[in-house]
Amino acid sequence: MTTFLEKLLINYPYVISVILFFIGTLIILTQSNLFKKLLGINVMETATFLMFIAAGNIRGGAVPILSDTNAPYINPLPSALMLTGIVVSISVTAFALALILRLYREYGTVDANEIARLRNGGMEK
Amino acid sequence: MRDFILKRMIAVILAFIFVYGFYVILHGHISPGGSFAGGIIVSLSFIAFATVYGIDKGKEKLPEKFLVWVESYGTLWYGLMGLVGICKGAPFLANKLAGIDLGVPGTLSSGGLIGLIGFGVGIRVASTMITLFYTLMEGDA
Amino acid sequence: MMTSWTTHLPVFVVILPLFVGFILPTLARRLRLVENLVIAVEVISFVMAAALAVLLFKQNGSPIPYAMGGWPAPWGIRIIADNLGVLFLLVIAIVGLPIALYTKGNLREEVGGRSRTARFYALYLLLMGALAGMAVTNDLFNVFVLVEVATLSACGLVSAHRNPRAAEAAFNYLILATLGSGLVMGSIGFLYITTGHLNMEFAARELAQVWQHSPHVVWMAASFMLTGFGVKAAMFPLHVWLPDAHSMAPTPGSAVLSGLAVKGYLICLLKILYNVFGQTLMRHFTMHHVLTAAGIAAILAGSILALRQDELKRRLAYSTVAQVGYIILGFGFVNQRGLAGSLFYLASHALIKSTLFLTAGAIISATGKTKVSELAGVGRKMPLTMGAFTVASLGLVGIPLFSGFVGKWHLLLGSFESGNFAAAAVILAGSVFCAAYLFPILRNAYFQETPGENWQDPGMAQRAAFVLLSAAIIFFGILPTPLLTLAQRAAADLLFLQ
Repeated sequence: MTTFLEKLLINYPYVISVILFFIGTLIILTQSNLFKKLLGINVMETATFLMFIAAGNIRGGAVPILSDTNAPYINPLPSALMLTGIVVSISVTAFALALILRLYREYGTVDANEIARLRNGGMEK
Repeated sequence: MRDFILKRMIAVILAFIFVYGFYVILHGHISPGGSFAGGIIVSLSFIAFATVYGIDKGKEKLPEKFLVWVESYGTLWYGLMGLVGICKGAPFLANKLAGIDLGVPGTLSSGGLIGLIGFGVGIRVASTMITLFYTLMEGDA
Repeated sequence: MMTSWTTHLPVFVVILPLFVGFILPTLARRLRLVENLVIAVEVISFVMAAALAVLLFKQNGSPIPYAMGGWPAPWGIRIIADNLGVLFLLVIAIVGLPIALYTKGNLREEVGGRSRTARFYALYLLLMGALAGMAVTNDLFNVFVLVEVATLSACGLVSAHRNPRAAEAAFNYLILATLGSGLVMGSIGFLYITTGHLNMEFAARELAQVWQHSPHVVWMAASFMLTGFGVKAAMFPLHVWLPDAHSMAPTPGSAVLSGLAVKGYLICLLKILYNVFGQTLMRHFTMHHVLTAAGIAAILAGSILALRQDELKRRLAYSTVAQVGYIILGFGFVNQRGLAGSLFYLASHALIKSTLFLTAGAIISATGKTKVSELAGVGRKMPLTMGAFTVASLGLVGIPLFSGFVGKWHLLLGSFESGNFAAAAVILAGSVFCAAYLFPILRNAYFQETPGENWQDPGMAQRAAFVLLSAAIIFFGILPTPLLTLAQRAAADLLFLQ
């Protein structure tokens, strides 16, 4: 019977991915700089990619391409899914960057609090 | 940028990056890579050109209108390839069921429609990436 | 030949708007053609959804499966047009056509140049395709991809408005929605690790056998799923992005976001909760209590927040928060009446809220006034627009003979059946609140002094849109049977009743 700590050590990719996920979430929720928020999103999505790919991996397994090895093939499905995930994450990043550019041109800053202050100041005038 | 070495190097390397990108796109079904990775490589060749020679020169070579066109019809191409199955009485996106000869496993022709679909997706990805590059670079001005 | 084309309907419903949407940016020079193309796509989608509904009724509600590429279920992707899916397809088609009509010749004022307008249409059709995909999908990872497509195009629709505040609203929406989809993807990962399947039926079968080996992982998957879709569908404490995004978007964008996009996420949540986790696991994790509590909180808080808004579009946006509460409340009853009521309410709210947003947009662009208190006398100057607004308001409050009533009535029956009398009281209180924030607008519009300004009803296409939507609201209020039967069968499917 393995102890809880040993289980954690054996499954270290999952532990790392959960830690990364919460670091990303924390960055999104606490930072007011729009770029940092975007980086937080990327960290969070990378954590989920890591979890999927770790789920498909077999230690010492072979690449799932037609060849002569006898080792068991790793599961290619999670990797294929994560390719889609990466495409989605790239689109989100690109779109968010374009929005940040537009906001920067309009307000001259990339800080969410600063933008809110400028907007409210503008409304009072 | 007015760096002579950089400009000559890009002029030489560009073609190789370009061809390698299409190699990756077309061999997606028998080796690692595929339309997305290949499309990114194709776009990188052009992004390198536009970075070194300046964005205006890049737009002369590949105008945005052309990119929009490729983006739209690259995707439509995917849809048309899917319809081949329906026209032959098989489900949408059918490959072998649509009566296409798949040849010997491991060769380039063994993908059937996948290679053609991959080509459409690849040029679409490449043109989208270049459009994004243009959009974000114009923020400097 | 006819039969072979009808078998492909479930996939055509999804790919037609997607692929037409993709070629629209190349036609930016010919905006009239783009407008007519979008209307044509919506008409064809409506015909296809109606044909699917007829097929489904002929088969007495047994679902229509479709294997993509001819690959059978656990290996390939199989999409299913079942009662729930066809119900939502019908809603999309009925709401989508009037919105497309409303945009005709009317969009550049809010959006700007030609290519921006063409891109707006492309995003609109992309969103429609993604929503149709959510209706028929039966695969967990496809849910994630479609949700992402819908989120990105919805953010694009918000940021299409020329006002820079729209960009800010879109950015906040994008960040929170991506946080939500990160949670959804994590949850799908947990489900895939525990079950080894992405197909919903197979995952459900496997999950029922193995969940006791790792209950914590399954519990985490369930809570991630609930929170993720909760953010996207603006479940009450997670609604902070909605008022800004829905009130800053261009008018047709607001209508489609409030009317349809939020509902798409709710349909996905419903499918995963009932089809994958199943009611046994839901009760074990007490998820139905969470849903009921969130629904009650949303109805009360959303209504009170709506009462305090003076800006017309913001008031309608907060009202959406409250109405989503009704739908979630019905999900939490876990009985056939409650679920059927919730689904019918989902359909009728889609109709009503898009009418309200479209008419509000027409009023704002005709008068140039955005505040509720400034709209005195609109009813006499713009009789048709205000008439549609009145019909929709009466429907939202739940007056008999309007479609909102049928949904609320079945929700009430469901709450009695589950013995939850507090929920019943909240449903009734919500109607009173709803009257409190909508009727003052009507009173101002009809019974106040008419100012001298020259306000007019909008053009023909817009009038046609208002007439179609009001007619649908009244039609489903007087003759709810077809839609209600579909909703009841869908509820029975979700609860695995025979």
